[in-house]
Order: sequence, then structure tokens, then C-alpha cells
Amino acid sequence: MGNIDANLDRLAALEGMGCSRKRREDPRFIQGKGTYVDDIKMPGMLFGVMVRSPYAHARVKKIDKSRALAHPGVYAVLTADDLKPLKLHWMPTLAGDVQAVLADEKVCFQNQEVAFVVADDRYVAADAAELVDVEYEERPAVVDPFAALAPDAPIVREDIRDKQTGAHGARRHPNHIFTWNIGDKDKTDRVFDKAEVTVSQDMLYPRVHPCPLETCGCVASFDKARGDLTVYITSQAPHVVRTVVGLLSAIPESKIRIISPDIGGGFGNKVGVYPGYVTSIVASIVLGRPVKWIESRSENLSSTAFARDYHMTGELAADRDGRIKALRVHVTADHGAFDACADPTKWPAGMFHVCTGSYAIPNAFVSVDGVYTNKFPGGVAYRCSFRVTEAVYLIERMVDVLAQKLGIDKVEIRLRNFIRKDQFPYTTPLGLEYDSGDYEPALKKVLAAVDYPALRAEQAARRADPDAEWLMGIGVVNFTEIVGAGPSKMCDILGVGMFDSCEIRVHPDGSAIARMGTITQGQGHQTTYAQIIASEAGIPASVITVEEGDTSTAPYGLGTYGSRSTPVAGAAVARASRKIREKARKIAAHLLEASPNDVEFDLDRFVLKGSPEQFKTIKEVAWAAYNNVPEGMEMGLEAVDYYDPPNFTFPFGAYVCVLDVNRFTGETRVRRFYALDDCGTRINPMIIEGQIHGGLTEGFAVAMGQEMPYDEAGNLLGATLLDYFVPTSAETPHWETDFTVTPSPHHPIGAKGVAESPHVGSIPCFTSAMVDAFAHLGVTHMNMPHNAFRVWQQSRSLGLTRQ
Amino acid sequence: MKVVLEKVFPLDASAERTWKLLEDIPTVAGCMPGAKITERIDATHYKGTITVKLGPATMSFKGDIEVLNLDAAVRSLHLVGKGTDATGGSAASMDLVASVQAAGQTCELTGKSEVTMSGKAASLGGRLMAPVADQMLKQFVANFAARLEALRPQEAASGDSVSDSDAAAIAPVSVTPEVANVPHSELNGLALAWAVLREWLRGIFTRKSV
Repeated sequence: MGNIDANLDRLAALEGMGCSRKRREDPRFIQGKGTYVDDIKMPGMLFGVMVRSPYAHARVKKIDKSRALAHPGVYAVLTADDLKPLKLHWMPTLAGDVQAVLADEKVCFQNQEVAFVVADDRYVAADAAELVDVEYEERPAVVDPFAALAPDAPIVREDIRDKQTGAHGARRHPNHIFTWNIGDKDKTDRVFDKAEVTVSQDMLYPRVHPCPLETCGCVASFDKARGDLTVYITSQAPHVVRTVVGLLSAIPESKIRIISPDIGGGFGNKVGVYPGYVTSIVASIVLGRPVKWIESRSENLSSTAFARDYHMTGELAADRDGRIKALRVHVTADHGAFDACADPTKWPAGMFHVCTGSYAIPNAFVSVDGVYTNKFPGGVAYRCSFRVTEAVYLIERMVDVLAQKLGIDKVEIRLRNFIRKDQFPYTTPLGLEYDSGDYEPALKKVLAAVDYPALRAEQAARRADPDAEWLMGIGVVNFTEIVGAGPSKMCDILGVGMFDSCEIRVHPDGSAIARMGTITQGQGHQTTYAQIIASEAGIPASVITVEEGDTSTAPYGLGTYGSRSTPVAGAAVARASRKIREKARKIAAHLLEASPNDVEFDLDRFVLKGSPEQFKTIKEVAWAAYNNVPEGMEMGLEAVDYYDPPNFTFPFGAYVCVLDVNRFTGETRVRRFYALDDCGTRINPMIIEGQIHGGLTEGFAVAMGQEMPYDEAGNLLGATLLDYFVPTSAETPHWETDFTVTPSPHHPIGAKGVAESPHVGSIPCFTSAMVDAFAHLGVTHMNMPHNAFRVWQQSRSLGLTRQ
Repeated sequence: MKVVLEKVFPLDASAERTWKLLEDIPTVAGCMPGAKITERIDATHYKGTITVKLGPATMSFKGDIEVLNLDAAVRSLHLVGKGTDATGGSAASMDLVASVQAAGQTCELTGKSEVTMSGKAASLGGRLMAPVADQMLKQFVANFAARLEALRPQEAASGDSVSDSDAAAIAPVSVTPEVANVPHSELNGLALAWAVLREWLRGIFTRKSV
């Protein structure tokens, strides 16, 4: 075989999978040349601003828009009454509920959309919004989901108060949305009845918000002459938006063009369709001019998709050696005023049933009650595919609680319960089939890296010293994620299966364009998809353009959230590339005057078997595809692939966190955070590391500071960046990352997806470490956020703050 | 966001004269810093405004006042005010029970108020609410005392005993000239901010050590 150096040069030139290729997106971003929605300017463009409710719960008695309409520069003030003739005052949510576009007779959460003012520019619109006189009659609000289910609780949704059956089955109270049960209850109960040891723990995963740097917004432009609608929008799922707009407006999808330009972070916040999008579109249709609407920071934090708000009770049954026999979970899920989660239709708690985690637990039963309260809707968001964060938090906390009860080290109890490598594919008692995993070596690698025994020895010495000012906590987590939604037999959004797509066109010069149904928001798709094509079809990544987000050019796809781009669209890219490669091989054989069976693919070329000097490069083949193809073959070199995954993928990881906690002040220092991730085949190690740093930092934010507290009247007390914690480089700890590789057996390239793992895994790891700092005093759990005040309260309650 | 305040202020006037003034709703409203009655609908219903200035932000609430009970026999007044600010972003309501108890030649004014805020005022200013409400009540009583003083029969007039507002809760409230002269002005932002800060600092240094 040829010269090894030459082969390495050819490999390097491809910049295929496994190479830390620099991000193609960054040159424009670091020069400030990205194009975000708010950068879009169209001739004659107007600006819309929302009038929002100061009350969490009130009747709208009267809206007087005369003063606003009289304000110079104002074109329209839309209210529910204006939308009624169009039947657009309510819209469907992604969870089978409906949501008021503009408040129809009553408001159900603070900052709910009441009227939409359209004016010459955003300043005039904001001034005029203050001139809309809305007369309210305040009603008692309910912000606690348990109180919401009381017999005499205020009714949040009078529009459906008598509806006995919701989108997910029977309702037992006007504020009750659904009860979702999964698992074998009777069998699980029997195991609990006979168990040697049981533990139970209540925990709250508080309401948080992903707070992307760029808030939500859109520019809607209806061309009256052509009859078509163009919407620039901050959407993680532009094709789904097109379908929703088509359903709502009765404009055929062929006349609707949705464009997601550069997006400044999504994290699930930009999956849904928000009232501002609908009102902008209506205003543009009515006025015949483009209308822009961009949220303020407070609007973003108080009205668009939040995350979590799960009140959970976990129970484990085990034997005295700590071998887990059963898991039982109850969740009271606070969905806010409208059920606007983005979960697959049949799973109203998403993939929460991954809550048996990395452990071979033979029996499990989970019950989730969804509840309406006077808080803003959402429940989609935050770097997590559909409630996996909550599930992983629950099981990892429970395993710690069990370990503490039995006096077994939390590492040891995990090792005793892991699903072993030879058990994969492993079917859990809740019906998921884990594709692959190898947990023990991952955990052991991390323990060796941090010298776990030495940390425990240091902690023991610290605990023994009554004068020690700093407590020490060690957190251990071994999570299993579920991503890549998903198989269309299980997953759909509004009835559309959760496949994804790729279309590749190779041009005569051998360069190529790939168009995708996904949309990058920082994941680096323009970089990594090209690497897959480079490895699979031999076209150098440097001459591949990846284009996403324009529904008029890209094939239909379900978008990017829940770490699904690599597991689903990445597979479509690989399979489309293979279709290109197969056609190219036939053309190469034709050029080499050989049988296709005698020609094989080698990096960037097709070689005649046994004669390595006889070859045609992919570049030569591309040229031939447009002038010299075998008889009977179509011209051109293109491929399309719609990939419906056979299963989810199950990335995993092992994390250790070491915290020093000041017993007098509650100050916490992250001394060490070691994160090992296994996301299967690694496409771009540098991007993976960047994703992990981002996910860990957001995990740190959630665990240590983020919350959206409400007062009893339904006022949101955390909707500005004065209150809401967003860590900067000053607060962010140093991260250490590591990896193992356990490919997915069912994925064309074995990749599993990674973006969410560090978020999902790090949050329980911080709590594990924080609780561990106080565990020797009998503390089994502390609710997040672990900010200094709350930690100090814990320390004080234990009498540790006395000098 | 809800704050409940209950305070007793000794006043240097007879119970009867104090009650007479308390019955006069527009005057009582005028004693509230920044407040005024804009329209009298009937004996128990009024429309009014209240403007609160805090640093660079001015919030002007417009709303309805309803007198729920006015009982001369026990010298007790119960009124409810509700309103939204001019921008529509905030709302406030106040439930006030004020009563006068004779104490020898002088009397005590008892104020029990429940202030509820919604919207931006609560979300952004929630933490300041308790001290602001406290200061507003103190200024109200100071203004009220000034009105009483103005009505005082000539023969009973005596020198003012000036006291620090620290002592407001225990010493008879008297009035500094600036307050007495501008009972209708909006709540002075800087003075209020200072008063709030002072209260807060005092809170810190007098808190029992843990």
C-alpha cells in the first residue's frame, strides 16, 4: 500500500470525523457579523409590543385602546376581540391543550399577553402600549400545585372547567391536567411490602428558565400581491412552525416560508410557538407591512418556556446489601396556566421514565400528575430532552439516600447496582431499551483521576475537626441519558413523526451543499455535519456548505432540541452520504472501465481492487456525474435521506464534584469538577468539549443559583437579571473533562449526542456534593438552588454557624 | 406581594377632634404622601391618584376608593383602595382600618393596613415594599398630625415638641415644617430612599446575633 504519510495527508485534508476542526460559524460570530432576527430589517417594517397583565389571575372587564390608537405613529392595537373573527384568539399548544393568544376575558398568569400594539418603531410602540387602558377585576391566584388541587381552589382554566377528559386522559379536578402512570404498580407495591430496606425522599426540582442570550422574536411579512407569508423567527423547529402556521392561518404550507437565521442560544426556549409570533403575523396580514416583535429580557424570563417545576417523591426498596429491588415515584408537575410542554403525544411527562437510571432495577412504577397554576406556561426547556433532567436527578438522589441509610459508600452502592455491559441491549421495567453502555469502567476511571480514597480521607479528617471552618462535600453521579427523539412509532409532535432529514447535492467541481431539517443554535452543525459527509463520501469538509433553517430550501425536519441532531439528523447525513458514495462508485467504475464490484472506496477516491495506482477521485467523479455517466443512469450527484431512528440513544457519564462549604457564611467553592462523558462515536472532540463546558456551566447555574420564585399573589419575583443567576466566567468553576467511547449499535456511525448530558448529569452531582457536606449530621437532601443564603440556613439549623 | 402593617401613633389632640379630621375622606387622602382625591362619586366612593417616586422611577396609580365602614360610635374607619399605574404594568390595593382611641386628653391613632402589589412594582420593588410602606405610613401620620395642629384651637396651642422619626411609634408625632407645608406633594424619593436605608441599617445592627 502507498506511502503512509501521503495517506495521512489525504485524511487530514478531508477533516472528517474525529478531527477537532475549527467551527465554521465562529468567523462571523467573533466579528459581530452574525445575522439574528433583530438584525433583519425590511422596507416599511413596523414594530409590535405586547401589553401584559400585572395580575396573575384576573377578569379582563374592559380594554380601551382609544388613547393608544390616537398616539402618533400607531397603526393598530390588537385584542382578543380582533382575533376572534379569525378564530386566532386561542391556539393549540404542543401538548394537546390550547393557549390564549391574547387574553380572552381573563388572564391566568402575570405578564400574560393582553393586547398587541403596532407602531412605527419600538419606542413609539412601547409608549403606546402604556396608553392601552385595561380594566381588571383581580381574582385569587394559586401558585402552589398542591393547593391547586384542593376542592375549593381558584379555577385557573374556566374555559375547560367542565372538561372531564383532557389530551392525556381523565381529569379529576378543574386544575388537574392528567395523570400518567407507567410500570407495574401491583408488582412494585408487593416488592416494597416485603423489602428489607426502604427509603423515601421528597424533593423539588424548582422552576428555572434557560435564559438564552438572544430573547425570542420574529419578523412577519405578508406579501399581499403574491399571497405569501415570510417569517424570520428564533425557532429551533422552523418546519414545525410552518405546519402550525399553516394549520392556524389556512394559508397552504407552500405559500409559507419560515426562516430561522442565526440563533443566540435556544436550550428549548425556542421550540414553542408564542403569542407574539401569531400577533405579528396577523398584524402583517392586516396592515400589509412587515411587523417585527422582539421580547425584552423580562418578557423572555416571565412568559416563554420555563423548565422543571417538578415536586417529586422517590422511594427505593432494597436488600441490606444495597441491591435495589424496586423504584416508586410520584410527581406533581406544575405546568402553569396552559399545558404547553413539548412532549411526544403519548408521553405527557416526556422521557421521565428513564428514571431507573444506570441501575438494574427489576421493578418500577411512576405516576405523574400534571396541574394548572397561575404561572406562565412552558415546561419544554433547558438543555434536556423531555424531563430527563428531572428523572436523572431523582434516581441519583435516591441512590445517595439509600447509600446513606445503609452506611454504604455511594460509589460502592452504584457498583453493586449497575447494568453490566453484557446485559445490553437492556430493557428497563418501564419499557425503554438501552442501546449500549459500559458504566463501571467509566466510573472507575473518574475515581482514579480524582483519587477518591484520598478525598474521603481528607473529608473524614475535616469532619473530625470541630474547629474546621470549611465543610467538604463529595458528589458522585453516574447518569444515563436518553436522547435522539425519536422513533416515529413512539414520538411525534402534532402528529408529525420525529424523523429528520438531509439533502446533499454535489456540484460539478466536487464541492457540495447539504441542507438539513435541523437548525443550529450553537451546536456547530455547519462544522460537524460536513465532517460526517467528509468521512462517508470523501468530499473535503472545507468545500461543503451546510445550510439549515429555511423551510423553502431545506427538507422537512423536526428541528434541534433534546440532543437529537446527531442521533437523528446525523444519521440522515451519514445515510445520504452513503447514497452519494454508492452512485459515485458506479460512475468511478464506469470511468475505470471496471465492474462496480471491483472498485472500492478509499478516503477520498475509488480504487481498482489490487491496483492502487488506478483510481478516480471524488472530484473527478463529480465532474463526470454531469457529463459521463454509465448508460441508463440519471445525471447529477444528489441524495436525500429521511431517517426514522429505530430507537433512542443512551449516552452516559460519570461525574465527581468536590465542594468546600463555609459553615459560617454558606459560601461554596467548587474545588473540583471532573466530568467523563460517553457519547458514542465522537465527531468533533473540540466541539464536544465546548458543549460539555456549556452544559456544566448551565448545570452549575441551576444547582447553585437559578430559581423563579413567586409570591402568594402570583407575582414572579425573579424575572430580571438582577435576580436571576446567569453565571459569567467570574463565577464559573474550572472543568475537567474526560471520555470513553461506547458506540450506539443501531446508529449508522455509532454517535449518541452529547449537548444535554453535562447539564443532566452535573445538577444532581452538585446536590450530591452539597448534601454530602452535611451528610454526617443526618442531612439526606437539600433542595436547589444551593445559594449561600440557603446553605447558611441549613448550616444554621444544624447549629454549625456558632463560633 | 403583600405587606401588613399595624401601628399605633400617639397624637397630641383630643380623640374627638382627631376623629373629626379622620372622617373627612379627601383630607385623609391628602395626608397620604403623593395622594389626592380627584372625584367624589358619592359619600362612600371616590376616585383618586397616588404618585410614588423612587429614584428615577415614578409610578402613578389611578383607582377607586371605597369607604366600607365609618363608625363614629367607635371612631373607626375602614376603606379600600385599588388601582393600576398609568403604564398598566403594576397594580396596588390597600385595605386600611384606622381608629382613634382616647388616652386622657390626647389620643392614639391606630392604623392597620394591608398593602398588596402586583406586576412590575412587586417583581422589581418587592424587597423594598415593607420599608416603603412603613415610611409612607409614618409620613401619613406626620401629615395628619400637621393638619390636626392647624385645626388646633388657639388657646390650646403650644410649642412643638420635635422628635426624631425613630421615636415616632412611642412619642407624640409632631411635624417638621417641610412636611406640613407640602402635604399634597408626591412622596419625596430621595428622602424616602434615605429613610428606607436608615431603617434597613438599623435592622442589621439591632438584629439578634445568631
